[in-house]
Order: sequence, then C-alpha cells, then structure tokens
Amino acid sequence: MTVADDIRLEGDVVRLRMRKESDLPKFVRWYNDPEVRHWLHMSEAPEQTLDGERQRWELTRGDPTRLSFVIETTEGVPIGQVGLVAIDEAHRRAELGISIGEKAYWGRGFGTDALRVILRFAFETLDLHRIELITDADNDRGIRAYEKAGFKHEGLLRGKRQRYKQPIDMLLMSVVRPDVDA
Amino acid sequence: MISESFLSSKTVRLRPVRESDLPHYQGWLADDELRRWIGSVTEQPTIEEEFDWYVSRRQDPDSVLWAIETTEGTLLGNVELRMSVNNLRGEVGIAIFDREYWGQGYGTEALKLVLEYAFGELELNRVELTTDHDNTRAIRSYEKCGFTQEGVLRKHRMIDGVPSDSLILSILREEWQVR
Repeated sequence: MTVADDIRLEGDVVRLRMRKESDLPKFVRWYNDPEVRHWLHMSEAPEQTLDGERQRWELTRGDPTRLSFVIETTEGVPIGQVGLVAIDEAHRRAELGISIGEKAYWGRGFGTDALRVILRFAFETLDLHRIELITDADNDRGIRAYEKAGFKHEGLLRGKRQRYKQPIDMLLMSVVRPDVDA
Repeated sequence: MISESFLSSKTVRLRPVRESDLPHYQGWLADDELRRWIGSVTEQPTIEEEFDWYVSRRQDPDSVLWAIETTEGTLLGNVELRMSVNNLRGEVGIAIFDREYWGQGYGTEALKLVLEYAFGELELNRVELTTDHDNTRAIRSYEKCGFTQEGVLRKHRMIDGVPSDSLILSILREEWQVR
C-alpha cells in the first residue's frame, strides 16, 4: 500500500486534507474543550499540551499504520479531525476515530459526510475490508452518525473505559465492505 | 516491560522472558497451524525479528510479558498483558507454543495467574481478548476462566486469504472476585 504524502478528499459538505504540523494548536484547543473531551477515548489522560502534541506528531509522522485528516467545510473552515489508526494491511482493516472540535458545527451532518468520504477512501483506495470503531454507549449523536454511514453494532463492551473515574460501556461498531460481506 | 514477577500455581509457572527463550519461540513458529491461531504472525520470524520483538516488548511500559513454563521448568509459551492504565483495562494475548502440551489446561492455569495479577496487583477493572470465532479450544479455556462473549468482529482477520470473524471476550473485576 503506497499512499501519497498529500491526500485530498472531497465530500458533499466537507473536504479532508492531511494534518499538518501547523494544525497542532487547533487540535490542542479542540481536545481540551470539556464538551469535546467528554467523548474522547483519552479523556482520562492529562490534558493535551502543545509540546505533548508536537512530540506525538514527531513520533507518529510517517507511521504507515496511521492517517490523520483535518475535516474542513467546503469553504475551507477547519472543524474537526478524522483518522485511521492500526491500519493492518495483512488483515485489511483499520480503526477509525473522528471528532468535530468546533461545536457550532455539531449535529449538522458534517461528521456523517466526513465518515462517508473516509470510508470510500479506505475501501476503494486503501483496499481495506473492515473499518471499526468504539464509542461511548451513551453517545447518541455519534452513534446515529455512524449508523447513517453504514456502521453496524457488533457488541457492547462492558466497562471498556473510564470517564470521570467511573467505568462506562462502549459500543463496538464496524462497516464491512459490501463485496466482502457477501 | 518484561515482567519481574514470578507467578505460580500447582501446574504452571510464569517468569520473565529471557533471551535464551527466543530460539525456542522462533523454532515453534515454523508451525503453520500455530501461527494461524496466533494471528499476529503471518510468517515464521527470523531469530533477528524475534529478538526485535523481545526488545520492543521490553521497552513498552504498557505491556507485561511472561514466559509460561511447567513447574519442572519446561518452556511452553508466553502470555502478554497490554494495559491502558487510564482506563483500568488490560488486553491479554496467550499462546502455548508446544503442541505436546495443548489441551491439558496449562493455558487456562496461566491465564488465571495473569487475571489474579491484573485484578489484584494492578487493580484493573476489565481484561479483554479477541480470538478466532472457530478457536473452540481457546474459547472453552477463556470461558473456564470466567470470560464472557461480548461480540463478533465480522471479517476481522484474513486467514489463508479468506476473511474470517473474531470474537471479543472480557471479564470484569467483580466477576473475577466472586469466583
């Protein structure tokens, strides 16, 4: 699998471009917003710092198992991020993570469009078979968007993560490429 | 990290993996059937690759690795506990490499030792694992330890070119404690 350094993907209401180092301050702001962070898998970890994000950026750039995109409106306003991690060429699968950091854009279909775009890319360009994700079981808005994009429920993972020092359940969901699912 | 803890039951012992174990692991991994169940290893590694794996495990602070041996000191396999400390969660990977010892309860005993360590020493809340949907021997062993099936991961692995389902199982701290 060879992926060009610069990937741009177009949807109906969003476009995706690869994350750049200059995006890091935005990511720190998004991830530390309490309403955004509430739903993040890493919400129990210490808050993001720019130095920490920069270190992570250095460590993970060029890692062929991850691809990280900025979600922009078609006017070019950056509103969030979507990425694939644990891209496994041998087993043709990856894990997906998405968050809309600009709350003014919540609930308006931008995330759903970004999901459709990245799934098409994952299946058609990366030739993957399966994209999975986990999300908090009470993340109704997220779950609705995932269902619209084609994700199916696969299981309830009990006490999968901690949120405010309490164990919470998470939902395991995936999309399997239609021709593989047959 | 390579665990510094020695854990033992009546039939099995867990001890730190040593460099001298690596040629044994590497030799066993020539076995197609063994690799098919292990999943993360598609081809037999070279001894250098096996050493790289050992070093990477040794350097990873979120992973604990033990060698599994009989109480007489015969090496059987290994078991790894990968942790998400913030989420009080662990994920186990276990393999009895030596076929002679398959189906005799060594894996189950080793897993129970790891669970006792995970819930007792490390105070985790959840331990999970994934396995092939048709790995009935392993699933039986996990259920004996108290694991519950939570879901089916559709087309999760490619096995000999064919997409195959996996299962996810877990056990919670309170389930372990009532045993």
